Amino acid sequence: MSPARRSALITGATTPLGVHVCAALLARGFQQVLCVGSDETTSALPRSPAARYLHVDLTRARSAHDLLFGPVRELGIEIVIHLAAHRSVHRRVEARRLDVEALRTLLTLAERHPTIQRLVVRSHADVYQQKGDLPTVIAEDHPLDLSPTAPAWRHERVEADVLATMRMGLSRLEIAVLRCAEIFAADVGSQLWDYVNAPLCLVPLGYDPLLNLLSLEDAATALAQAAQAMGSIGAFNIPGADTLPLRRCIALCGRRAVPVPGPLLGPAYRLRRLIGGSDFSYALNADRFHNAMVLDGRRARAELGYLPEHPLTWPQPMRPAT
Amino acid sequence: MRVPGAQHFLTAIARWGLLATADRALLARLQLPDAGHGYDPFGLCRDGVSRGLWLTHFAYHAYFRVTGHGHQHVPRTGAALLAANHSGTLPFDALMIWADVVRGVERVPRPLADAFVPGLPFVWSWFARAGAISGARGNVERMLATGELALVFPEGVPGIGKPFSERYRLRSFRVGHAELAIEHGVPVIPVAVIGAEEQLPLVTKLPRIGRLLGLPYLPVPAVPLPLPVHYHLYYGAPIDLRAEFGPDADDPAIAQRAAARVQSAVASLIERGLSERRGVFQ
Repeated sequence: MSPARRSALITGATTPLGVHVCAALLARGFQQVLCVGSDETTSALPRSPAARYLHVDLTRARSAHDLLFGPVRELGIEIVIHLAAHRSVHRRVEARRLDVEALRTLLTLAERHPTIQRLVVRSHADVYQQKGDLPTVIAEDHPLDLSPTAPAWRHERVEADVLATMRMGLSRLEIAVLRCAEIFAADVGSQLWDYVNAPLCLVPLGYDPLLNLLSLEDAATALAQAAQAMGSIGAFNIPGADTLPLRRCIALCGRRAVPVPGPLLGPAYRLRRLIGGSDFSYALNADRFHNAMVLDGRRARAELGYLPEHPLTWPQPMRPAT
Repeated sequence: MRVPGAQHFLTAIARWGLLATADRALLARLQLPDAGHGYDPFGLCRDGVSRGLWLTHFAYHAYFRVTGHGHQHVPRTGAALLAANHSGTLPFDALMIWADVVRGVERVPRPLADAFVPGLPFVWSWFARAGAISGARGNVERMLATGELALVFPEGVPGIGKPFSERYRLRSFRVGHAELAIEHGVPVIPVAVIGAEEQLPLVTKLPRIGRLLGLPYLPVPAVPLPLPVHYHLYYGAPIDLRAEFGPDADDPAIAQRAAARVQSAVASLIERGLSERRGVFQ
């Protein structure tokens, strides 16, 4: 790809991650960055003649088709960075439409698209199984969480991940799936962020697992590097620069950890959700609240040149406790 | 106001001066990996090592009076595997090897724990902060790739749970450690633990109750506390399994022979240790 022709489409561009990725691509000299999102407002997106915003509902197959075979084809866009994902874990129908079905449509359309060469999909570390008898430092060949008891939200993330990875080598598209550690920031769908927004954080008694957290800057860097790494296909773990135990994270956020026997945590957080409208789901996090998990980023370092270099700024500015 | 947990309390004690002067100086000299915030990817941290030194101080120096023989065989840098016999109903042998290597070699060994151990509340957090890792193959490979010193008990649970009448009779060594040593080309240092076999004679095992607690079985020892046996730790000369058996770690016959080679080295050290000691408590 010649530098003069560098052009990309970013889905989910109005999310904080999308905004950072757009800025990272512009900083790398991309000539055309077509940003699409479901929001009407675009004030956070960088102002640049190279960036253009379109309001597109990707859950509608017709809209996705018209986007790809309209503006994307006209601009000759070669790279798609797919970030669109539902942030709430409790709106399952909408989440499935965006996380799984929209990706399926995008893949199908991109495979027969005349200009798109490369697809970078943001996936999540949640897709991996977390159990005490499995490795703590997780490489890309770690088992995915396909267990029938896993929450539906995780099933959908796994399905989306598998949907993209299964096309690798079968499709003419270059597909890179970036399994990112949890981005610890507001409005990115971070469960942990929601968890530490409570003044008291209930933790399982006797456990203090290690977490690895990713900053928006590092996530954006990884996605931008993956977009540019033509020829690199496969799944890549994207770890963050912050590796710390859960209780240390809580303390750094200025919150108080209250140890509670494990079986009481589920009901307590269900109650919190009912009363306070929180999005945090203990069922989704029970495994990682007992077992450490740190992504092994060696493959991303070797093939994409990615190294986490932007630690989070602590203490994190939290929302006022509700 | 912060309510300190037991872990914070002990860390504070260790940090605030109850750590012996020698241990404090040793702690300052130790080179520990850091993946951010002072923790390595498996949870090892300086406070955890400090807590470990403090907690093992009395047992190491006064109660079990550990004597290490052959520290010069343990490499000061680079990846290696310590392979030891396992015994004593409860894993005090692992704690004493850990304490001896930290004090005698000035390296933090990374004991590999059986799959059920990471599920244990309290215990696992403390072990992991002091360097223990879950014994999943991926973890061990990562350890060796990053030049760490892993501590493995190839007998596994059958070793620690053997009856008193079978003390110092090694159970068959598993082959995983030998495969990894060949694959990564790292030396295996045989280790014999003398004393642990007599510390807590096992009367019986209660598997049903154990399973309720997440353990393979609940051990019922003959005495409520470990006996103050004298621990002798013997470190043997490093074995280069790749040089002896070739690079094909996937060949089951080679892995078996390599594991048997390590077992025989540990058995020789046990024999030497038993012949040299003057009594269980001396």
